[in-house]
Formats: sequence, C-alpha cells, structure tokens
Amino acid sequence: MASPTSTPEATPAHRAKMRAENVNFFYGSFQALHNINIEFRENQVTALIGPSGCGKSTFLRNLNRINETLRGTRLEGQILLDGEDIMQEDVTTIRRRVGMVFQRPNPFPKSIFENIIYGPKINGMVKGNASEIVESSLRRAALWDEVKDKLHESAYALSGGQQQRLCIARGLAVNPDVLLLDEPCSALDPIATAKIEDLLFTLKEQCTIVIVTHSMQQAARVADQTGFFLLGKLIEFDKTDIIFKNPAKRETEDYITGRFG
Amino acid sequence: MTFRNKRRTAVNNVMLSLTGVFAFLTVTILILILGYLVYNGVTSLNVAFFTKLPVGPGQAGGGIANAIIGSVLVVAVASLFGLPIGFLSGVYLAEFGAGTKFAYVVRYTADLLNGVPSIVIGIFAWTVVVKPMHHYSAFAGSIALSLMLIPITARSTEQFLLEVPRAMREGALALGASKWKAIATVIVPAARKGILTGMILGVARISGESAPLLFTALGNQYWCRGLMDQTSTLPVMIYKLATSPYDDWHQQAWAAGLILLGLVLIANITARVVLTRGASVPKG
Ligand SMILES: Nc1ncnc2c1ncn2[C@@H]1O[C@H](COP(=O)(O)OP(=O)(O)OP(=O)(O)O)[C@@H](O)[C@H]1O
Ligand SMILES: [Mg+2]
Repeated sequence: MASPTSTPEATPAHRAKMRAENVNFFYGSFQALHNINIEFRENQVTALIGPSGCGKSTFLRNLNRINETLRGTRLEGQILLDGEDIMQEDVTTIRRRVGMVFQRPNPFPKSIFENIIYGPKINGMVKGNASEIVESSLRRAALWDEVKDKLHESAYALSGGQQQRLCIARGLAVNPDVLLLDEPCSALDPIATAKIEDLLFTLKEQCTIVIVTHSMQQAARVADQTGFFLLGKLIEFDKTDIIFKNPAKRETEDYITGRFG
Repeated sequence: MTFRNKRRTAVNNVMLSLTGVFAFLTVTILILILGYLVYNGVTSLNVAFFTKLPVGPGQAGGGIANAIIGSVLVVAVASLFGLPIGFLSGVYLAEFGAGTKFAYVVRYTADLLNGVPSIVIGIFAWTVVVKPMHHYSAFAGSIALSLMLIPITARSTEQFLLEVPRAMREGALALGASKWKAIATVIVPAARKGILTGMILGVARISGESAPLLFTALGNQYWCRGLMDQTSTLPVMIYKLATSPYDDWHQQAWAAGLILLGLVLIANITARVVLTRGASVPKG
C-alpha cells in the first residue's frame, strides 16, 4: 500500500468521475442541501461524514437519482458523471452505472443466486454466463467461499454481515462505475465491518467509491478523501489526512474531536 | 413481591384468562357449526348426490350435480374477470396512484362497493346483463360475483403491496430496474403470499353468495348447457332446498352446504400447498 504510485494524491489517473455543481435539494419546501460542490475521483474512496440529519444520505441518494422516486422532491444544480449531466441521461442507465448499498441489508426474497443475477438480467447482460457472473460477483464481495454450497437457498438465511456483502455483490454484478454506500456497516458487528472495509480497498481498483459513515475511525481507515457535512452544507472537503489532522474549518475540527454538540 | 407487582401480575392473569375464554368460545362456536353441518348433511351424501340431477320430494336417488358444476362454472368465470381486474387495480392503487385524486376515488369506490349488500349487486347485474340479453344466464351470475370480487381483490392486493418495505423497491430501482420491472420482478413476488391468500379468501367469499345469483343465474332443474344458459348453483340450491316444506330436502340442504364448505376448503388447502412449495419466501 505504501508504494508511491498508490498514494491518494490526485494524480491524472484519479480523474474526477463524478461531480456535483451547485446542488440544492428540497423535500417539499424544506431545503435539505445547500449549494453542494464536490467531486469524486476515479479509483478512490470518498467518505462523507457529519452529524445525524445533516444531509449525507440525501446527497448520496441524489447521485443515483433514487431520491426523485420520493414525491415532492426537487433538485437544482448539476450532477455530472463522466462530464455528462445525469438528469439528461436515461435514469435506469444512470442507476446501473451508479450502484448503491443501503444502510440495512435489503436482499430480495429470492435465492442467493437470483439476488446476484437480478441486476444483470434486467439490464440484459446475461448471455448464458449466469453462473460465472454470480461466482465472480460473490468473489469480488469476498462472500463466495461462505455461500458457494448454498447458492439456491434463500438470501434470508444469511447473517446480517453476509447479507450486506450479498447486497454489495448484487450491486457489483452490473459492473457499476461508481458504488455508493450509505452507512453499510451500521447494522454489523466489528468483524463483519472489518471484512467490508477490507473489501473497499480491493473494490476501489475497479470503481469509484463514496461511503457515508458515522464512524470517524472508519473514514480515516478507508477513505482517500473526506467531506464534512453540517446542516445541509458541505463545510470542508479534502484529503482524509488533512481533514483529520489539520482541518481548515473550526466546525470540522469540533466535529472530529467530538466537541460538536 | 411488592403490592404493585402483585397487582400487575393479577391484572395480567385476569386478562390472559379473559382472552383465553373468548378465544375458546370462538373456536367452540365454529366447531359446533361444522359439527352440526356434518351431522345433518353426511347422511344424504352418496355417489348419486354428486352425480345425479335433482328429483322430486320423497323420491330417492337424486343429486345436485348440476348445482356443483354450475357453481364451479359461475365462480370460475367470475374469477377470470374479477381476479385480474382487481389485482391490476390494486397494483395501480399501491404503486402508481399514491396521492392522486383518481386513486382516492377508486379506493373510495372500492370500499363502497365492498359494503354494498350483495342483493343490490344482483339487481344491478340483472339490469345491465339479464335485461338487455332477455334471459338469465350463468354469465350474468359471473358478472354479479365478479363485481364483488374486484373490490375485495383490489384492496387486499393494495394492502399487501404497501407492506413490502420501501428498501426492497429501492434495491431493485438502484440496480437499474424500471418501475414496472421492479413491481413485476420484486415487489409483487415479495407480496405474492398475501396477494394470493387475499384472492383465495375473495373467491371463497363469492362462492357462498346466493343473493347476487337469485335473479342472474336463477337456477335450473337440469344441466346448464353453457355460459349463456341459466344454471343451478350451490348457494341458490341450498336456499331452495332449505325453504322447501320437505324434510328430505332439508337434509339435502345440509349436505349441499357441506359440499360447498368442502369445495372452499379444497381451494384453500390447494393454494396453501402451492404457496409454501415456492422455496425462497421470506419469514413472516
Ligand atoms: N423523505 C424525507 N422527507 C422529508 N424530509 C426528509 C426526508 N428524508 C430526510 N429528510 C430530512 O432531510 C434532512 C437530511 O436527512 P438525511 O437523511 O439526508 O440525513 P443524514 O445525514 O443521512 O442523517 P443520518 O446520519 O441520521 O442518516 C433531515 O433534516 C431530514 O429530516
Ligand atoms: Mg443517513
């Protein structure tokens, strides 16, 4: 990890994959996001931190346009994926390219196999290679060895940590460019959490990762960049080292040192 | 033990016994009805009863085969119309109509229709089907019954779809599923147990209705010769047998009731077996 070529520096290899420009977001008349500007670099992990209710999930859920399925919501500004405005693209394509893992594992009431193959199937990506897709997705999510003998059993028979990795595998099966994770470990024990954190290091080789977390330690461990949200505003965004060791803003420092009310 | 705790335990015990007693009462009443039905009906049950046409009072060897066939026909055709229409309306209400005025109207109408006395449904079906066609028919009976089945199915389908967690919908959408695809491949399958159970209960309910059939399917002493012919049905047959002045017909009414109950039970059990065979159903 310590070789100079894999430092989290913004080298040209880490070009901006996704970018938000002047994003405001409203639930009805309530403005949950205020003028957010941020970018997520390819093959990097970006953590979003901040106190409860500050808009982390709201922001994340705009990146794959899942928030527009809620009635009465409105987005202003632009979100760009590879330079293209995601609002102008086909929504199902955007959602395939920008995968999402939710706070609570939400496997479908189907078998493990069917859970994984679901995305490739509806996106017309299966060409007689269903088994291979399932195996490689489960391997990428470090779940293969644990489930390879019970692929056709219900996903509900798995433990919480396994279910969450199944959901990650399900998301990976459609080869997303970006993977959004909204507090993916909050329902998991430390061992399951460590497994998922390990996973992020290998996954970022293949895609861009944005993770919302309440755990400062987790952000410090996994993230190359970190953004700090407060009351719907992005207060500070920088390399993780800087955010945690030498933040520029007073609010950031208060929050990460636990002095925040 | 403190006084408070003692009191709490006492209240707890009293409530437990009280609910227990009423649960027992409910079961007892059900068993009494069933027992009475079996006791009175079983003596008239024989092969001829299932295979023969009715005969006059006092004559031996008659059956109600035409009513059994008629009921199955009328209910099957009613289900053919009622279940898909009700199901699709339910999907609309739960998935597409949320918050719209139209959905509100549909929902309200469905509830109203659910509460309409079934005899009124019968009059309506007579007015719109029997009268213009100038004759009673199994078809008219089916229309009447499907008018009852549609709102039952729609509302139960809606209810079970709404119980599917939002997280499940979002999981499907987040993988690139279009809305209808998410509904068809994840949400409806997740709710299928409840939806099918609602449908079964709906069909069971209309199977026992006599009022809507009284002046639509009417009745028939002989075999029904098709959908456009008038037909005998179990509930109407029971009504006619039971209101007759003949003792042996009263016995037959009990037996017919038993058969109706049996048919509903078979439908119920079959559906449950089919349902539980599907493997990956979530617990609860
Ligand atoms: N569906 C919704 N309708 C209306 N307001 C909402 C909705 N979801 C969130 N909000 C509001 O938007 C604000 C941001 O909420 P959000 O869930 O994005 O916060 P969060 O940072 O993810 O918090 P947490 O850490 O608790 O998950 C909050 O004030 C919340 O009450
Ligand atoms: Mg959140």
